[in-house]
Amino acid sequence: MADIVGVNGQRENFRVVGKPNLPGKLSYALATGIAKFGIDYVLPNMLHAKFLRSPYANALIKKMDITKALALPGVVDIVTWEDEDIKRLGQNPFGPPSRPYLDNWAEQEGAEVGCIVVAEDEDICEEALRLLDIEWEVLGHVVDTLKGREPGAPTAHMVEAAPDPFSKPPEKPKQGNVSYAVTTQGDIEKGFAEADHIIEYQLKLPAFASHMPNPPSSVAWWEDNPYHGEGPDLHIEGAVQRRENVGRMYGVSNEKTVQEGLFQGGKYCDWGMRKSQEITPLLARRTGRPVRCAYTREETFDFLMNERFMYLKVGFTKDGLVTAIDDFSIADNGVYGSSSFGTAGDQGYGPYYTFKCPNIRQQMDIVDTNRGKMYVSGQHCPFNWDSGTMAIYLISEKLGMDPIDVALINVHGPASQEDNTITPSLLACIEEGKKFVNWNWHKAGERKLEDGRMHGASFRYQMCPRHAFSGYDCKLELKNGVVHMPTQGPCTGIFAVECNAMVVAEELGLEYADVAIDFDYRETFTPVGGGSDGTTASSWAMKECANILKQKILESAVNKANNPAPPSMFMFGQPKENPLKGHTADELDMINGMVCLKADPSVGLPLREATSENIFATFSGRPPTSLWTMGMGKMLDTMNTAYCEVAVDTETGEVEILRFDAVADPGKVMRPTSLESQIDQVLFFSQGCQLLEEYVYDEKTGVRLNNNMIDYKKPTTLDVPVIGKKFLETRAGNAAYGANGISHSLANTHAIIIAIHNAIGVWVDPPATPDKILKALGKA
Amino acid sequence: MTEAKDMTFTLETAHAKVSEMIGAIPTALTEYRCPLCGKIFGCYADLKQHYAVEHVGAIPPVTVVLTLNGKSCEVLIEPHWTLKRTLQFRLGLTGAKHMCDKGVCGSCTVIMDGRAVLSCQMLAIECEGKEIQTVEGIAADPKWKPLVDAYCRWDAMQCGYCTPGFLVSAKNLLDKNPNPTVDEINEALSGNICICGTYPRHAQAIREAVEKMSEGAVTNG
Repeated sequence: MADIVGVNGQRENFRVVGKPNLPGKLSYALATGIAKFGIDYVLPNMLHAKFLRSPYANALIKKMDITKALALPGVVDIVTWEDEDIKRLGQNPFGPPSRPYLDNWAEQEGAEVGCIVVAEDEDICEEALRLLDIEWEVLGHVVDTLKGREPGAPTAHMVEAAPDPFSKPPEKPKQGNVSYAVTTQGDIEKGFAEADHIIEYQLKLPAFASHMPNPPSSVAWWEDNPYHGEGPDLHIEGAVQRRENVGRMYGVSNEKTVQEGLFQGGKYCDWGMRKSQEITPLLARRTGRPVRCAYTREETFDFLMNERFMYLKVGFTKDGLVTAIDDFSIADNGVYGSSSFGTAGDQGYGPYYTFKCPNIRQQMDIVDTNRGKMYVSGQHCPFNWDSGTMAIYLISEKLGMDPIDVALINVHGPASQEDNTITPSLLACIEEGKKFVNWNWHKAGERKLEDGRMHGASFRYQMCPRHAFSGYDCKLELKNGVVHMPTQGPCTGIFAVECNAMVVAEELGLEYADVAIDFDYRETFTPVGGGSDGTTASSWAMKECANILKQKILESAVNKANNPAPPSMFMFGQPKENPLKGHTADELDMINGMVCLKADPSVGLPLREATSENIFATFSGRPPTSLWTMGMGKMLDTMNTAYCEVAVDTETGEVEILRFDAVADPGKVMRPTSLESQIDQVLFFSQGCQLLEEYVYDEKTGVRLNNNMIDYKKPTTLDVPVIGKKFLETRAGNAAYGANGISHSLANTHAIIIAIHNAIGVWVDPPATPDKILKALGKA
Repeated sequence: MTEAKDMTFTLETAHAKVSEMIGAIPTALTEYRCPLCGKIFGCYADLKQHYAVEHVGAIPPVTVVLTLNGKSCEVLIEPHWTLKRTLQFRLGLTGAKHMCDKGVCGSCTVIMDGRAVLSCQMLAIECEGKEIQTVEGIAADPKWKPLVDAYCRWDAMQCGYCTPGFLVSAKNLLDKNPNPTVDEINEALSGNICICGTYPRHAQAIREAVEKMSEGAVTNG
């Protein structure tokens, strides 16, 4: 059992943790429309701002005349790339340092370029943008990743990005649009020599969007506030969890950078700041009025995952044991400033790290394009790329073995890559999973359903990586008899704060509703760290803090019992005998809102009466390093499995997901409703990218054709299957009570695609739309 | 300048807050602000005169009286403004959310004369004389407390941005069909897109609300 370092990590009885249907602390504000997101703020006398956006996929502004635009009634300000204010503007701390905040180069169609217009309303901004006299130099563009790799392709990036701090130095110099990354372990040639069979296959990882529900937007203004020293405070709403970074851009201290709003909307690990969230302080300072800058939906179709093409060669023995993996990828590097997460920056933890196979080579050609931008994203991390899952499936097809058996032959044990045992968590998931889904494997194309459609199934497993790279600065306060948990806003909707409050209630013998969460942007505690990973890791730290507070409360109660205040002239009658008198803190406990005797919990006082002191406790730290981070995927603790079944109509090409189930071990279920939702979310995302979603470009102009929610199709209630879920609790994780993060690890790129192959015996690249399926079947 | 501080509402305090928000919306205009230059006038005639002199050829804004959550509200808008824009920028109601702005995602759903409509696709001037109900109006009606409560108890939201649109669609469904099946719920909510993937939660919440509301009806009846 893990979490042995933390207090009560091995707790057996839970009253609050694991309880369903406890409302989120912000849920009533969200459901009723009270909650305001960055885009919602409207202030008196507020101005609006809009960036000029490029109609070309790759172009330079040679000259721009703003005279007519500036003369338009209602236009208050126009700031161009040549303005000193823009030149002085600080860089995005997450972006490369070598390019100005705004310049005259547009690296994709729709890129912010050249200038920003500030006016009385958005319509006037748009009219002013139309009145700009611009001389463009249109450059060649790349929106086809494979063509962009070819010699002689147009140069996609006219400015070279600075070396990425997350990447190791390239193996060879960049050529044209292509830079190179190689990671090798073991001896590939030796591995292939040991193989009885070699298979070669290719797969396409789809590019897809998150298009965050609330288009990134902010409103900013400046206001004097003598409490925080000289100079005006910067107020900004919509800066999400990057308030301090925006403040730094303008030379404003954390104390003087104010953001009171609590709602930042869905992020899906996309933490890149958009210019609309950074520019408003400058414009507000120039105009002396609040300024709002809101993006439209069309302006927010950024990549959550870049496109890439993978070419695999896998050697394996006649028993199904993989001996060598040679993985060559061509990856879209996106536009200038795209994250290297997902390309070279992510090769440190790839899709084969649960494999015993010691001989692996990963080569990547990373192609600059003008397709779009991927910010710091990680929902579909490389350990979720299903190139390894596909190898297991293809081996099973070749050898006539159940893919679960092939997986069990190839997965390494908990201790190391050389460990030949199987992680107990994985065995438990598979045992339950087989029963849960009535697993009955068949070879490709061998099962027809009664209605004539072809049946296909797939299986995948994954580790549950808990990041816990972040430390947590926790504080709890007992004020006037109520426990408060001061927490920094704003929040994403993963209910991580609530999970922390549940742990506090558990440890202090309170109910969930008894813990008051005080949101304040100035506080330090925030349960960051990546979805459920942050939830469970921050809860571990908060558990420690709660126990520090508990000890202080018990000591205070003992002090009050043994040193009662002298009788007051306002007190009537005889003072009551304190039942805790004569006891030590070690003899006391906190149960059901009472401070009571351990030996006899019926003897005690309500918390509010047991102590009249205000008490504070702090704890800074994080859970012990997780196995995954120590072994970079080569040490395993908790695992999960997913099972997909499809029916494919070979006449129409239509795919129906019959079931898409997860049997998973989060270590300990902390907050069931949000755990279930996280898994629904990640599987619906995975469904969307495999069946529905695709970026479409006009190759001639480089214009992206479907930047809207009509043509870019996300799943709806009528598209999604029921996600069957079963949770195991091995308590083997290192976060609170042995929990682990889980949501990322169920993200997948090919679980449905493999099931489709199992149904019809041919590969269809995602998104597997009916036309592509019919084409693959030779019917279109 | 912001009102956002303590947002940790309970069912009761959220109900009180939305009631207060609706109550605070002015029923009549007291000033007329020129959208082009920001000048403020005491009456509409003066604003029109200002346009005739200083913004020749420009189309002046118009006054519209909306019947919103049971209350008449006079607003000054430009003729091309949508209801969604009017709710946010003139009435301070942001429960109808801007997401797709194309009539696809359902985040800006309101109920108009008993039908769920997309406020991003309705010109505000078309809405005069019609009964409009927003999520704030639903949340302020005690009858719908079980629905709001069930949404929160079942986490029928993650980031919460699209949630008000879903709740309005759910209420509209229950107006027409007080005891819907899960399939009927999924059909009714298929015009609302939740990128966080909370879809199964809505049916659970609505089914619980139906049960609570029918229990309440029996008790009250």
